[in-house]
Amino acid sequence: MRTTRTRRLAGAIALALTVATAATACGAGEDGKAADGGQTRVFAADNGQITIPVSPKRVIATGYAVPALLEAGAPLVGVSSWKRGIPLFNEQERKKYDELAKVAGESASETNYEAIAQADPDLIVIGVPKPVLADIDIKRLEAIAPVVAIGPSVPSMWRELSRKQADAAGAAAGFDALKTAYDTKAKALAEKYKAVVPQLKLGHVGAYGEVAKGNFQREFNGSWGTNIAQDIGATYYGQVKVKGGGSKDVSEYPSIEELSTAFAQADAITYSVAADGSVPAPVKYVLDSPLWKELPAVKAGKVYPFRFTEAATYRAATSTLDAVDQAFAPLLKQ
Amino acid sequence: MTTTGRSALLGAALLGLVVVAVLSVGIGAHAIAPGEVVRALLGEGNPSDRAVVLDIRMPRAVLAIGVGAALAVGGVLVQALSRNALAEPGVLGVTAGAGFAIAVGSSFGLAASAPAELGLAVLGAVGASALVYAVGSKSPLRLVLAGTALSAVLLGLTLGLRLLFPDTFDVYRFWSVGSLAGREQAPTTVPLIVIGLSLLGAFAVSRQLNAIALGETVAHTLGANVARVRTVTLLLITLMAGAATALAGPILFVGLIVPHLARRVAGASIPWLIAFAALLGPVLMLAADVGSRVLLPTGEVPVAIVTAFLGGPVLIWAVRKYGAAPL
Repeated sequence: MRTTRTRRLAGAIALALTVATAATACGAGEDGKAADGGQTRVFAADNGQITIPVSPKRVIATGYAVPALLEAGAPLVGVSSWKRGIPLFNEQERKKYDELAKVAGESASETNYEAIAQADPDLIVIGVPKPVLADIDIKRLEAIAPVVAIGPSVPSMWRELSRKQADAAGAAAGFDALKTAYDTKAKALAEKYKAVVPQLKLGHVGAYGEVAKGNFQREFNGSWGTNIAQDIGATYYGQVKVKGGGSKDVSEYPSIEELSTAFAQADAITYSVAADGSVPAPVKYVLDSPLWKELPAVKAGKVYPFRFTEAATYRAATSTLDAVDQAFAPLLKQ
Repeated sequence: MTTTGRSALLGAALLGLVVVAVLSVGIGAHAIAPGEVVRALLGEGNPSDRAVVLDIRMPRAVLAIGVGAALAVGGVLVQALSRNALAEPGVLGVTAGAGFAIAVGSSFGLAASAPAELGLAVLGAVGASALVYAVGSKSPLRLVLAGTALSAVLLGLTLGLRLLFPDTFDVYRFWSVGSLAGREQAPTTVPLIVIGLSLLGAFAVSRQLNAIALGETVAHTLGANVARVRTVTLLLITLMAGAATALAGPILFVGLIVPHLARRVAGASIPWLIAFAALLGPVLMLAADVGSRVLLPTGEVPVAIVTAFLGGPVLIWAVRKYGAAPL
């Protein structure tokens, strides 16, 4: 018994030493050079002015930074799980995502600090919304490598943040080409739908967050399901009853009883569906409600499903534009 | 208290139940004038108001009555059976079993719909209480210990599954906060029939439980078959608490607080206790459910949180004012 305990204790000490060594080895110098001799720079992030390597070689990405850095081709050595973005990855990104060590789960509270230390990173890019940062022990991560937190406060912020995340990871090259492709497509679609879409008062039924137990998610301008359609001229009328900060400034969770008042003025309603076109449970709950069938937009047949509302990079959002185009196509025939 | 006095109080409780039920159909997130509520009940008026009243609030009120009665009467039975004033139906592992089944089911992608969730919860509740009974049927103390131990094990396993499978965590975290909202599309008829029949069974077995409360020797003398009564009572608790938990998720306070309130007017008589609990449980659930709809400016508070807020102070007040009544 005593031998087993001694072995366990020795193992724990060895692991602690490994983590401490990794942390020491990865620390950046203060004179513009990292401990390993590489150049450093000061980067403005949500968690302050952080000294990071100019050309990081081993990067950890979590949350929204995962799709952004996969797309940018950053030198990743570990990522958090990002299931919602999998359908939007291309073949190369998917292969890379599958190969990489998963150092955190879908939520920030599932961060595996030991796995991050073992990946021996020289930069950690945390891409979670600011309120969620409280779930992460930043001090503990800073002992391993420089940490830059670059997370959205509202869903539509992926545009600026994906660029900033790629920049931090030293992988900004190619970013502008993808942005230009997106902007060109959005402009063309705005032209295509200019006679119909801007005239509509739109409502959106979402599938994110705390949607359960008799509630539904209503999304306004700037939210997950709406922000990309806005780039082609869509406007989602109204605003949240009480601003709760972050995504709660652009979406809310009313009782199903309020469905008829929430969308009474809507000329058309859009709703989020999965990548394969299937209807997620929170949206199906709304679509199956007797109140849904009484809405003027539903009676007029003006309801449109949106795929790929999870997009948080320009390449992925280009797929979303295609999906929005497909969903809105019937409007041109009416 | 005399039988006449108790009957009068029971009538008052029934009247209170009717009043709260009417309020629960009239009050909600979507404001509807009282006249329109009546028109909706008659199948007339605005189609949206009619849908809110008939398709959302009415089924929800029926659910609150069924769940409240099941948990409250289940609480009376489990306290009588275990002779433990702090026992509630969850002590038999019913809630933990239902939660574990939901976690396992969602790990395998089987909890994708309301009917599937309901079926899993029933299976888990029945399985857990069968195991508890198999281990602890010899005595009330062993029963409570077995239930507590199994609950702890199942809660640990559920936590492990949630950590291993994030999707499970997502399904479980919504299920684990008891609520009556959003159940109007679920198939509730069978569980409600099970609750109704179990309530009748509880009345049928109540006199023999009364005899057992006097001690097993006395019960034998009075002609009660102790083992059989204990088995039937346990089965009734499982059916009621299992069906209620499957319908609304875990709502822990009702089964604990209502028997204490009922005991103030019913005394130690099990039949009277059951009668009062069957009315006071629904009153508490309906009142809490109305509160859950109006407390927030947008959306709802799960009813289990409201019952905890209502039940906690009431329990403290009852214990301080009257002290613990003998079981």
